Amino acid sequence: MFKPSFFITTLFLSLSWIAAHAQSFDFPDAPKNPQIKEKVVKSCTACHQSAVVVQQRLSKAAWTKEVDKMIKWGAQVDPADRDAFIDYLSVNFSPDKPAPEFPRTDASQ
Amino acid sequence: MISRRDFVRTTSGAIAAVGAMHPLLSWAVDNSYNISGKDRMVVRSSQFLDLEMPPEFATSWITPLNHFFVRNHMLAPDPIDVADWRLNVAGSVEHPLSLTLSDLQKFEQHTVVSIIECAGNGRGFFRPQLPGIQWGRGAIGNAQFSGPRLRDVLQKAGLKDSGKHVMFRGADVVLGKVPPFIRSIPIEKALDGDTLLATHMNGQPLIHHHGFPCRTLTPGWVGSASCKWLTDIKVLDKEFEGNFMKPGYRFPNHPGKPGEAINPDDTYPLTALTVKSLIALPAESQSNNRTIHLQGTAWAGEADITRVELSTDGGSTWKPAKLGHDHAKYAWRLWSYKWKAPRSGDYTILSRATDSQGRTQPATPVWNPSGYLYNTYDQVKIHVQA
Ligand code: HEC
Repeated sequence: MFKPSFFITTLFLSLSWIAAHAQSFDFPDAPKNPQIKEKVVKSCTACHQSAVVVQQRLSKAAWTKEVDKMIKWGAQVDPADRDAFIDYLSVNFSPDKPAPEFPRTDASQ
Repeated sequence: MISRRDFVRTTSGAIAAVGAMHPLLSWAVDNSYNISGKDRMVVRSSQFLDLEMPPEFATSWITPLNHFFVRNHMLAPDPIDVADWRLNVAGSVEHPLSLTLSDLQKFEQHTVVSIIECAGNGRGFFRPQLPGIQWGRGAIGNAQFSGPRLRDVLQKAGLKDSGKHVMFRGADVVLGKVPPFIRSIPIEKALDGDTLLATHMNGQPLIHHHGFPCRTLTPGWVGSASCKWLTDIKVLDKEFEGNFMKPGYRFPNHPGKPGEAINPDDTYPLTALTVKSLIALPAESQSNNRTIHLQGTAWAGEADITRVELSTDGGSTWKPAKLGHDHAKYAWRLWSYKWKAPRSGDYTILSRATDSQGRTQPATPVWNPSGYLYNTYDQVKIHVQA
């Protein structure tokens, strides 16, 4: 095997593995509306981990139902922010985005 | 090619080296999940805890506890102190009971080997995508459960004729205005001699993640019919009405095209699991020599597996697998097949099971808006070397 290319490939794979993992359970920034990410993080990780949200790949209609269901269940969302929540979620977690990578638990007997 | 597991192992070594150069990268390495008693399980969510068994672990008839999947809808309670724990039996009974763990141990003990499978196992494969935990192929396990029969406890409480459904509630913590996770099962299933108040799994007291000190086992049914950290049993005159009976855990009477809306009144509550198979080995993306020992499991809820077939040519021809000798009414059945690949290259292996009710896994999934009972052929893509 050609060593330098193996090293580059390993480095590349490592970086993309890190990117996938670092990204997988985190909410991405929202350049057009920087505060909305902070609001989503605060509101949508109050009961469960971000993973429950960021693993979804849903249409805007489906995100609308989810956000309304979570508000009914007690999520704190200022009514003025509801539409921005739905926009943020449906842009970042839309059906065309690749599925996230899921980590594994440590080894244990 | 290397298997996915080797891939992670190899690259995390590389990451450790890269991480020394950059603090952000080393953070990624430290972000590990140490969940007591759970070994290399896929973390679908750490809160609420949802862990999936990698399919390559499904090679033994009894799933070891460290590979048994975990599904929580709510926040797990703190580990329960048996001294404080009581099981209340109420509703349509002559004498409501409040039982301790040692009271439960005085009833005749019964053992059942059964699968538990999450109704949403495979949800992640439905298109269009559906909301919910994006399970792959491993929200399933087969274990030996022991404890008193629910029937004996209901009879001791003096079950009344008016009792038609039995409701379970566990100690999981309900947050905000979330509806509590309460479901009921019909009285016929509750009185079945194999429906248990299980205190043991695989011969050991339940571990916390599986509902210590006591859980129901409603064998052969969707996992949500088996309630963990059980605290309350209530006999009702009709089916429990609540979010997790309706709209939750229902299946359309007339399944439509993918994406089609369903009238919630034209649905029925999920009960028994359907016919399904799982290819354990070779693992997805694994590289193999030409002679391959294909292995896996198959199950059918309350029915028996009668046949498992494999295809290595995209479903044109099917060959019967050899069924394992261990079997029990609600348990899965191991199967195996020795295959010699005709030449090197990439292959897709398909498996399909048939059961004693004459059901065979379908070629396309039955679409439903909650992503339940995904049971099309199982498949793995592998590489065969010269
Ligand atoms: C009051 C607690 C609470 C808050 C706050 C909350 N959720 Fe949830 N969420 C839940 C529970 C409980 C479940 C799991 C239900 C289950 O597994 O049956 C859930 C599940 C989900 C799911 C999986 C699909 C489903 O419906 O089960 C999504 C997506 C989701 N939440 C999105 C959100 C978003 C987006 C927010 C912020 C607007 C949010 N949640 C805030 C309680 C909450």
